[in-house]
Amino acid sequence: MINKIKTTLERVVEDINNFYIKEKHHFLTLNGLKLDEETTQIQWIFSQYGEIDNITMFYVDVKQYEVIPSVVKILPSAIISQREIVDMFGIDVEGSDKGLYLDEDSEQMPLGSCGI
Amino acid sequence: MANKKIINIPLGSQHISLLEPVKFKFACENEKITEVDSDVGFVHRGIEKACTTKFKFDAVPYVVARICGLCAITHSLCYTTAVENLLEGEVPLKAKYLRILLVELDRIHSHMLCLSHTAENAGFEAMFMQIMGDREYVMDLQEKITGNRIQFDYVSIGGVNRDITSEIIKDIKTNLKIIKAKVDEYIYEFTNNWSLSLKFQDIGTLSLDEAYDYNAIGPLARAAGLKTDVRSETNYLPYDEVGYKMQLGNTGDIHGRNIVRLNEILNSIQMCENIVDGLPDGEIFTKLKGKPNGESLVRLEAPRGELMYYIKGDGKPFLNRVRIKTPTFACIPAFMEVFKGSNYADAPAILASFDPCMSCTAK
Repeated sequence: MINKIKTTLERVVEDINNFYIKEKHHFLTLNGLKLDEETTQIQWIFSQYGEIDNITMFYVDVKQYEVIPSVVKILPSAIISQREIVDMFGIDVEGSDKGLYLDEDSEQMPLGSCGI
Repeated sequence: MANKKIINIPLGSQHISLLEPVKFKFACENEKITEVDSDVGFVHRGIEKACTTKFKFDAVPYVVARICGLCAITHSLCYTTAVENLLEGEVPLKAKYLRILLVELDRIHSHMLCLSHTAENAGFEAMFMQIMGDREYVMDLQEKITGNRIQFDYVSIGGVNRDITSEIIKDIKTNLKIIKAKVDEYIYEFTNNWSLSLKFQDIGTLSLDEAYDYNAIGPLARAAGLKTDVRSETNYLPYDEVGYKMQLGNTGDIHGRNIVRLNEILNSIQMCENIVDGLPDGEIFTKLKGKPNGESLVRLEAPRGELMYYIKGDGKPFLNRVRIKTPTFACIPAFMEVFKGSNYADAPAILASFDPCMSCTAK
């Protein structure tokens, strides 16, 4: 069971900051889910140490031109999954460079379109 | 005061200490590493994309098993469990026990591979060859149970593909007894051998505070004293019935990681013995009905730490999303933190002690 919490680009850093206690919560990853050609859902996923399947997910539905705020000041380990989102979905994340996974001559933003 | 001279030294993308493509760029002040950057994308294969565009959901277990030769079982099992959560029906208990058996055999040989490489990086070639030779006892068991030494397609949606025979159970008991005696010898060597101690103790340390800060997982986290193991934080598999015990360290250095892995091998052997002694009767496979509709998130403890699969389907044969979070990828920021302040000469041994898997990372 995933406890899903909808938030906004303006509030997401504050919401995660209010929620996250480092000795209690484990940051799993940042995930992207293409909803339609224009919209991608960005998910910040957490588990809880020592608890059975206690999963919390903050999510925001964003347009392709919007910039995702960085949570690296709260979650230093998020830097790597933020860069993955940039490469895979072609969405800008504050302070995250392209090129972690894909070279310049690779297919760009391979997960940035939906459908088969 | 003289200006500090910073020298940039790369490690990788191909390096003798790790025959996998990863590049760390170290800024060094004399021998001391002061800054680190990494590049992990040399073998990106687009598997997440392929899983939603080229393969139907029931073929994906065999695709994700190709992500990594070493922990193929954990990948296919994690995906399969995520799908099973969205379908109607229950996986037989015997199949769950057999799944744990394979996951734990996989953990034993993966930890042995890591330990052999760390010994090699301390210049202990004989130990490297000894452990690699002993590892064959586990590979033989995997071949007998699944048909393949590595990259086996043992798990399918609804159960497992092969039952186990009384002859195989006998072989499992014999080989595990041999490995158990070998592991006791390794623990003595890793603890008391002068050259291994000199190279590993107080080297490449991750503190408990840093483990929390960088969300460390697997043996890297447990060696630092962080009580986290997905086997105790999920209930898809009956780990509480087969004798699982979390193994913790408190030093966070290379030696601590080695000892945690060695103790985990012993615990895995114990679990495998308990499984074959108390294997339930019944079927090994149930045909589950329907197509995945909804979202599912499943975590499993791979040999290197937490593996996560997130899937989303809408009742069609092709899934909308397959998200794979692999242990090495998640630990890259923690790796970089450990390198800072270490001597460049220790970097290969530190890297080997992380047990990185670039196949998983650049899936």
